[in-house]
Amino acid sequence: MFLSVGVRFEANVEALNMVETAGNYSKHRRVPYLVEEDGRLKTVYVPALSGESLAHAYQEHLVREALGLGLPVCDDCRRDEFYKSMNKVHLKKKVNPIPDDPRDIEIAIVRSCVVEDVGGFLYAEKPPVRRSSAFQVSYALPVKSVALFATSEPQLHARHAQMDSSSKKGNASEQMIYYVETGTALYGFTFNLDLDAIGVSAITSEPILDEDEIKTRREAALRALFRMLSSAQFGAKLSRFFPVGGITEVAVAVTEHPFVVTSPIYDDYIARTERRLKVLEGLGENYLFAVATGEKVPEEALKEAMDYLREQGAF
Amino acid sequence: MVPLTFFLKVMMRPTGIVALRALPQSKMRTALRYVPPTTLIGAISYPLHHLSGNRAETVYDRKTVKSTADGIRNLFEWVTIKTIGKPRLYGALLKINKTHRGELQTAVTSFPFAVMYGSGDSTITAVYLVNGEELSKGPYTMKDLERAAWGITRLGSRESVVSVENVETGKAEISEASSAETSYAFPFKGFEVQGRGTLQSVVDWRSGIGDYSSAKRIVMFYPEDTVKVRGELRTATVGGETLVLAP
Ligand SMILES: [Zn+2]
Repeated sequence: MFLSVGVRFEANVEALNMVETAGNYSKHRRVPYLVEEDGRLKTVYVPALSGESLAHAYQEHLVREALGLGLPVCDDCRRDEFYKSMNKVHLKKKVNPIPDDPRDIEIAIVRSCVVEDVGGFLYAEKPPVRRSSAFQVSYALPVKSVALFATSEPQLHARHAQMDSSSKKGNASEQMIYYVETGTALYGFTFNLDLDAIGVSAITSEPILDEDEIKTRREAALRALFRMLSSAQFGAKLSRFFPVGGITEVAVAVTEHPFVVTSPIYDDYIARTERRLKVLEGLGENYLFAVATGEKVPEEALKEAMDYLREQGAF
Repeated sequence: MVPLTFFLKVMMRPTGIVALRALPQSKMRTALRYVPPTTLIGAISYPLHHLSGNRAETVYDRKTVKSTADGIRNLFEWVTIKTIGKPRLYGALLKINKTHRGELQTAVTSFPFAVMYGSGDSTITAVYLVNGEELSKGPYTMKDLERAAWGITRLGSRESVVSVENVETGKAEISEASSAETSYAFPFKGFEVQGRGTLQSVVDWRSGIGDYSSAKRIVMFYPEDTVKVRGELRTATVGGETLVLAP
């Protein structure tokens, strides 16, 4: 089973993804956006969140949900340091001595860590062992039709320090100014989860775990997504720049094989996804499509998808 | 008699970012502007294998390690793309600070990718010409290939999510010509080209996918809009559009 979710969220005054710190100025991640003006193309830069940033947040939620269901998570991942058994030093903590056969290496990693089972890993030694992530996430970008209203503006802040009489400047209050660039936009992103990949070898296609554990891991993977969207716990600087707004729309498709909802950066994404799913039906495939706009809240659509997956025996 | 071959024409919408590493060994600093054929094969290989429950990504053949996509590349005579919208390469400089076991580590790096984001709707259309003989020898049918085409989820890295908006199937007419007009990428070899576009060196997928360190490369011309090509051409007509094939 395959799950694909399109998410739209409104974020006012957010600092969810900061890059390029220059001195006391920290810049928001931005991407170029081409617009036509008087027949000529010009570039404006709009705020964005990287897929890596969203993926990191998802995996943090996965750690908590997995532990809550009594599933194994390795020590590195428990600390939200996702090294993913990248070399001998990290792999040795899971299996020592390290086996020669790549199959045994994969088994050892998948057995001992849900995050690396679901989120993939790359053991970059000899032999290299690679497992693609079972989930995929796009960048979060401003919805196209209103992207020109998206802004990133520096906000001035000051940090104060009380100088005592022994300091050179005497008994004066000193301040240090700094700027944080805040973004404001209606964002859209896509999240996919391939439930059939969980607990199954990416080398032999054989299940590595028993069916019960695979089902519980799938449940953890779904709960983590639910939690991430419901709590709006993704991105950085949430402690002082928690975005004002929230999730405005979600569209969830559940299919037997891979299928991606049309990106919510396009205004017609729900209608298009629906039409495309009808084509799959014509090819003999069952699906569920749940949408939350207006009346329905995102949690209701996500729950519908979870219920459908449970009925289908996915977990 | 005009030779005919099945084709799949797959129209995709990017979610804004297409991250294609120029070298698979390097995660950083280089990116391709246009989607290379190897990526197109990899993109359809994943949903196709999904249909048969094949989860294998890597094949260990004694000392060589290959992608499983290599196993399906013979199913295709030719693959190419048309890109609407102009991808831009962009990579912010990133300063990474982190504490690891009490030690502060800092580094500056950049992560370039092609951005397909603008006021127009960018689309990527891939065409796969199917080798019917190879297809009949294997476990998959033309219907499986069609379903797989609908199931393409990404081009390149995991952030490059795409949605397939349309899949067209039919028979392509293969013929010879001295000139053609095309919007699809073609091998830049001994042809005269009139029009704008970008040259890009890519791995020749026909020589194998997976181990790129010694792979053969070909130079492809990625047209911006439509270009006129002259020379001793082999062409294919797919649903009213022309492709220029390898000589
Ligand atoms: Zn782990």
